[in-house]
Amino acid sequence: MKIDSSLPLEYSTEENRLKIFGFWIFLGAEIVLFATLFTVYFTLHTRTGSGPNGAEIFELTPVLWETFLLLTSSFTIGLGVHAMRIGRKKAMMTFFIITLLLGLGFLAIEIDEFVTYVHEGATIQTSAFLSSLMTLLGTHGAHVTFGFFWGVAILIQVAKRGLNPQTANKAFIFSLYWHFLDVVWIFIFSFVYLKGLIS
Amino acid sequence: MSMEELFHPMQEPMILAAAISIVVGAMVIVAGLTYFKKWGYFYKNWLSTVDHKKIGIMYIAVALLMLFRGGIDALLMRAQTAVPDNGLLDAQHYNEIFTTHGLLMILFMAMPFVIGLMNIVIPLQIGARDVAFPRLNAVSFWLFAAGAGLLNLSFIIGGSPDAGWTAYFPLASTDFSPTVGNNYYSLALQLSGIGTLMTGVNFITTIIKMRAPGMTLMKMPMFSWSILITNIIIVFAFPVLTVALALMMFDRQFGTKFFAMQDGGMDMLWANLFWVWGHPEVYIVILPAFGIFSEIIATFARKNLYGYKSMVMSMVVISLLSFVVWAHHFYTMGHGVMVNSVFSITTMAIAVPTGVKIFNWLLTMRHGKIQFTTPMLYALGFIPIFTIGGVTGVMLAMASADYQYHNTMFLVAHFHYVLIPGTVFGVLAGYHYWWPKMFGFRLNEKLGKAGFWFIAISFNVTFFPLFILGLDGYARRMYTYSESTGYGPLNMLSFVGALGLAVGFALIVYNIYYSWKHMPRNEKADVWDGRTLEWATHSPVPEYNFAVVPTVTRLDEFWFAKKEGRDITAGPIEKIHMPNNTGTPFWMSGFFFLAAFFAVFNLWIPAIISMLGVFGFMIHRSFEKDHGRYISVEEVMATEKSLRGDK
Amino acid sequence: MKELFPKQHVMGFGFSLLLTIVALAVVKFDMSLNMAFGILLVTALAQATVQLVLFMHIGESEDKKTLYTTILYSVFVGVVTIIGTLFAMIWGYH
Repeated sequence: MKIDSSLPLEYSTEENRLKIFGFWIFLGAEIVLFATLFTVYFTLHTRTGSGPNGAEIFELTPVLWETFLLLTSSFTIGLGVHAMRIGRKKAMMTFFIITLLLGLGFLAIEIDEFVTYVHEGATIQTSAFLSSLMTLLGTHGAHVTFGFFWGVAILIQVAKRGLNPQTANKAFIFSLYWHFLDVVWIFIFSFVYLKGLIS
Repeated sequence: MSMEELFHPMQEPMILAAAISIVVGAMVIVAGLTYFKKWGYFYKNWLSTVDHKKIGIMYIAVALLMLFRGGIDALLMRAQTAVPDNGLLDAQHYNEIFTTHGLLMILFMAMPFVIGLMNIVIPLQIGARDVAFPRLNAVSFWLFAAGAGLLNLSFIIGGSPDAGWTAYFPLASTDFSPTVGNNYYSLALQLSGIGTLMTGVNFITTIIKMRAPGMTLMKMPMFSWSILITNIIIVFAFPVLTVALALMMFDRQFGTKFFAMQDGGMDMLWANLFWVWGHPEVYIVILPAFGIFSEIIATFARKNLYGYKSMVMSMVVISLLSFVVWAHHFYTMGHGVMVNSVFSITTMAIAVPTGVKIFNWLLTMRHGKIQFTTPMLYALGFIPIFTIGGVTGVMLAMASADYQYHNTMFLVAHFHYVLIPGTVFGVLAGYHYWWPKMFGFRLNEKLGKAGFWFIAISFNVTFFPLFILGLDGYARRMYTYSESTGYGPLNMLSFVGALGLAVGFALIVYNIYYSWKHMPRNEKADVWDGRTLEWATHSPVPEYNFAVVPTVTRLDEFWFAKKEGRDITAGPIEKIHMPNNTGTPFWMSGFFFLAAFFAVFNLWIPAIISMLGVFGFMIHRSFEKDHGRYISVEEVMATEKSLRGDK
Repeated sequence: MKELFPKQHVMGFGFSLLLTIVALAVVKFDMSLNMAFGILLVTALAQATVQLVLFMHIGESEDKKTLYTTILYSVFVGVVTIIGTLFAMIWGYH
């Protein structure tokens, strides 16, 4: 395996560069996937049947917390990758752990939000609006959950094997995924919650 | 669900016979592998392979099987409608058959055939040693195979989907389709769709990042270009299908209200999402055929391809336009004049780049010394027949006229006139053309040509009458009609044509057996006097593809080097890095299959356990240390020597 | 410690918090729906750009042109799907 030491570890082999490139292509597909879920939501969001509408169930405070946690986690994982690039394994791991904890916090609030909805009689079966809302939020939440376990697996490998072209590559690709989930959340925050609260 | 209900399809004698033949066939294969002690060979060389050439061959094998499964459906449909008031099939059985015919032919025949050919050819044509992600490639194939298996299983256990291959709501909802048939639909398509999406990521990366030194994008063979564009469409269209299928599953199995008739649901949203994916899908199966024809026409007209840049540009334009035309599939749904006008115009616009390509092929042949080989016959047959399909497409594109044609046999004739000369002729041409590259011997030309003539003529006999029937008002998907309609004679003619098509396809398969027995083995690598890099290496191709990766300075470098007497694969041999084989993709897809199978029947606990198996394999993969292996210089030299010695 | 907090990242984080607060204006102040929608669109796109450029370093590799094309193409398909569906199913439906 040829290692090009003029590049950061995660780009240092041909295989690594292919993987990063391929993951970007995959993110392109993910953009379309979420765009389709938004399509469904925008088409159905006024079709509430006999159930509540957005303004009736959305609460700003927990959503702001979710946004803050996810934005911060996107910041900390960026710092983690930076630490990795300057060879600071411990700092990198610390930032990754903070990121994952923030992700867990986000999930906790989201689960609480779902439980609240169900208690208010707003379930995924109540109306087309709620079906589309919960599928959109649920898909994002499932991505965060998957990301949490993925991140843990990478942390274990970094702890055991240190920073090498393989582990650095995995950590970097994971960071792309995590930033991407933050971008998706921004759109959910703006066009589901904020827009739902005004109209 | 009781056992009786579960196996209710078996009460139908025809299905019972088919089920028995599937079981007996499987038993023969298992017994044969055991008797000849080939399990180890089979597992090592096929089930756990990550070699793009073998994966490609497996794709094509499954595609041929599905061609026959879907073909039998077609024959039964034509037989049922051959005479008025026929009782061969009942309405339910007829519904199931036209549904599975469409699904199998598009998603489990056309798609894998195209993906199989791209697997075999693309790395060779761009001078690469494998695809970018060989393991992911195996995952793609096995997920596709799991999906194909699941859909075919529906035939025996629980009942096939019966709401049409488009599965429009509300018909496909549990209210109107209470059997598990459409659960199979959503889950089987989901599995193979994820596999296809991964293929898309894999091949874009391969083509963008792994071309031979010197091969810039504009020096790339046209087939590689068409596959690049195809995979771009796959990556951006398939996520829409993923979402649509998930919503269908949620509606049917979790009681959500996306496409429901009450609580705010919107039934036509399904049709909308289906075609947002579905129209690009048409171009996914047709653009590779355009690429194949471009290669074959240039090779056998012995001229370089006319209008290379305009060929590329037209494909780029088609890929963009393919995403903005979908609503033409449901002009009569009830949206306003503005919507229909916009989609009419975008649809007709697609005829322009397609026309550019047709004229480029014609001009490539002009003044050429044409060799009428089997692949070339398919290419020549394609042009006029496809043009009929294209022109009737423009007729259908006019929204106001479409009110007359919609859901009649005219439409059915139109899309068969597009898909059969386009996709089927394309993949058959490619299959005959690249067969020697795969196996080192040619398919018999006489049998190949006989197959072509049977297919080309019978195709027109089968489908041309449907244009006329459609204009007379014969609606599609009717299981029978009365004698007074006067539809009888043309339907009978169409049935005769269908029998001819069956003979044609049988000849193609017989040709495999015949050629395997009788065709000479010491063919040279460059059997057709080809133009592109895949002909620069041996046939069959060694595992590492090229001992020395060729350097390219222009389009058709191999052709010019031949004329100049230069060997572009000469150079010092170095050790070659190759990926290891692995059974993980096979077993992981097996667990995916189980999860989907249990989910069809709402058996959530076993389904979740199976999914945990899938995640287990993912974790295993994440922690695995596998850096591949090296083939030593001596080994490469020995292989090269033995391959050259054959000639 | 300081080398662990590069300026680019800290600025990016500041931006994203700021943009969130600006977006909040649409619920805190009375404004027309079009105005609110415009603000949300601008802030969300700006947030996405901050993430892509400052955090994900989309422009750092040799393939940046292809990566930008990929993102633009997917956004094109996404927007076409959203706008086209609303056009066909709601705005242009009777």
